[in-house]
Amino acid sequence: MTYEIKNVWSILLRLFHWSLVLSIIALVVTGLYVNTPWTNTTLEGSVSFPMATMRYIHFVAGYLFAAAIAVRLFLYIFGNRQERIWDILPITPRNIRSFVTTLGYYSYISDRHDPRLGHNVLAGSTYIVTIVAAIFQLISGFYLLFPEAGFWQGLGNGIFGSQQQGRFVHHLLMWYFILFAFVHVYMVVWNDVKSPEGLVSSMINGKKFKHKNA
Amino acid sequence: MWCGAFRLKRAGNPLSGPVCQRRMTLVDHKKGVIEEMMMEEQAGMVKLSSSVSRRGFLKGCSLAAAALGLSEAMIPKLLEAAESAQRPTVIWLHFQECTGCTESLLRGSHPDIGRLILDIISLDYHETIMVPSGHQAEKSLHDSVEKNSGKFILVVEGAIPTAENGNFCKIAGRTAMDILAEVGPRAAAVIALGTCASFGGIQAAAPNPTGAKGVQELLSGVPIVNISGCPPNPVTFLGTVLHYLTFKRLPNCDKMGRPLFAYGRRIHDHCERRAHFDEGRFAEEFGDHGHKNGYCLYKVGCKGPETFSNCPAARFNDVDVWPVSVGHGCVGCTEPDFWDTMTPFYERLPEVAIPGTGIIADADSVGKKILGVAAAGAAIHAAAGIIKSKTKKG
Repeated sequence: MTYEIKNVWSILLRLFHWSLVLSIIALVVTGLYVNTPWTNTTLEGSVSFPMATMRYIHFVAGYLFAAAIAVRLFLYIFGNRQERIWDILPITPRNIRSFVTTLGYYSYISDRHDPRLGHNVLAGSTYIVTIVAAIFQLISGFYLLFPEAGFWQGLGNGIFGSQQQGRFVHHLLMWYFILFAFVHVYMVVWNDVKSPEGLVSSMINGKKFKHKNA
Repeated sequence: MWCGAFRLKRAGNPLSGPVCQRRMTLVDHKKGVIEEMMMEEQAGMVKLSSSVSRRGFLKGCSLAAAALGLSEAMIPKLLEAAESAQRPTVIWLHFQECTGCTESLLRGSHPDIGRLILDIISLDYHETIMVPSGHQAEKSLHDSVEKNSGKFILVVEGAIPTAENGNFCKIAGRTAMDILAEVGPRAAAVIALGTCASFGGIQAAAPNPTGAKGVQELLSGVPIVNISGCPPNPVTFLGTVLHYLTFKRLPNCDKMGRPLFAYGRRIHDHCERRAHFDEGRFAEEFGDHGHKNGYCLYKVGCKGPETFSNCPAARFNDVDVWPVSVGHGCVGCTEPDFWDTMTPFYERLPEVAIPGTGIIADADSVGKKILGVAAAGAAIHAAAGIIKSKTKKG
């Protein structure tokens, strides 16, 4: 069996992916701490500064997350063929077919497999939902970070109503990202086992292996 | 609903009754004090100066200037405006509420602020403390609106019920909606005093059976300022009134119509316990070591991080206390829908109701359960895949 090496993911997309991974891990850990600080101390003075430190990491990771999302939005329009939004938006007949085929493939109903180079449309649609969730997560985050700023106050009050509601949405969306990360990692590993094409390593070196006469 | 009970108060409160009729300038202020003391003694009342001393007057104005964030140089201007012989007419309407805003204004331990306000304004109609009752009261409202049309300040206390044509609150046979629609548009400016008048407050809590709404949802075309809080700080009210008298306009407001000088910053960001938060010292429960040592109340549900107010700076009742200073977390009373969104008061976040199940739980335990279900689903999915590939080979 002969394989052909295809360049699939640009360096910018891979940077986006791993920035997102890193920032989500940092954000979830520090975010859970900020909501429920699990340490407690009776030490007084500057020897102890856990909440301020956690918040600092959270904010830095938040900016990394924001930058990653901005890059992905850029690539949705200006990326390569696989990265553009038209390749994964389930509105064209080709993409809807991929969505349905993948559903059957994932649930063991059929062995037919969409052989496209980029995301299958089921995965791609999930990523679009995730990017939308990320945008709301960013709006609620900046709304909480800059409560006095007119722009964020207007936007946040308009969408969430109040700081407390913004915080609540921010917290619930965190659980979406935890669930997404779990399901994402499971499905990637499953795909790599089921149809070997170097899916996991493609996010590191940008290349996939395709059957020459597939 | 409960508005009917308040009508009884119209007979007038013996202690504060004369306040409304008092029309003295500060020049003959001393004479007035003596006369009033004699009056009160004759009536066998508690001996209380119902007017403010010069010292108290200056103190109150300085306090308001500080609350407004004005420089020392502005204090004489405030004094000038406050002493002006042309005192603005104020009409004070009570709707669906508990009168707590008025109470907090008038029943401070040192009632200088309440009295100061009553000295610098001409309060023509205030159901709790006015002398007239019945038709006389209605007449004074009507006369004052006619006489000062377009010039008076309207203070609204309480929410306005709008369901069932507003029949839940009636005063003199007319609904609160009617009265507001008649008086409101003729005011020069409206001060919505308290969270009920600002955002609907407790009356507007889900499921809001009376359709209670704040003034800003029902009135347009008139400048409205929201002094939210349950109760609001009298210093904030005084500051707003003095700002209006001095600069002839309402103070700058945030997106919810609350004056920035008082609601421009979150409680958490200027709380005296903030250092304990940053340095990780928390009360885990009421009465524990951390609580006794004055540590941060974040873990017992303090809503300071999501509430805008000047409570930590202005404090209450002239004895320099506010909820957090005495060991109870903020409940977020200055925010819209606080009764719905800030509860449970002793938890950080609202609880999640899972539709169709009747289950109400906190977000994290729901999140963990969903994650558990997802993990189980993944395990079953993987097992199914292995079984399928084994049976194929077999």
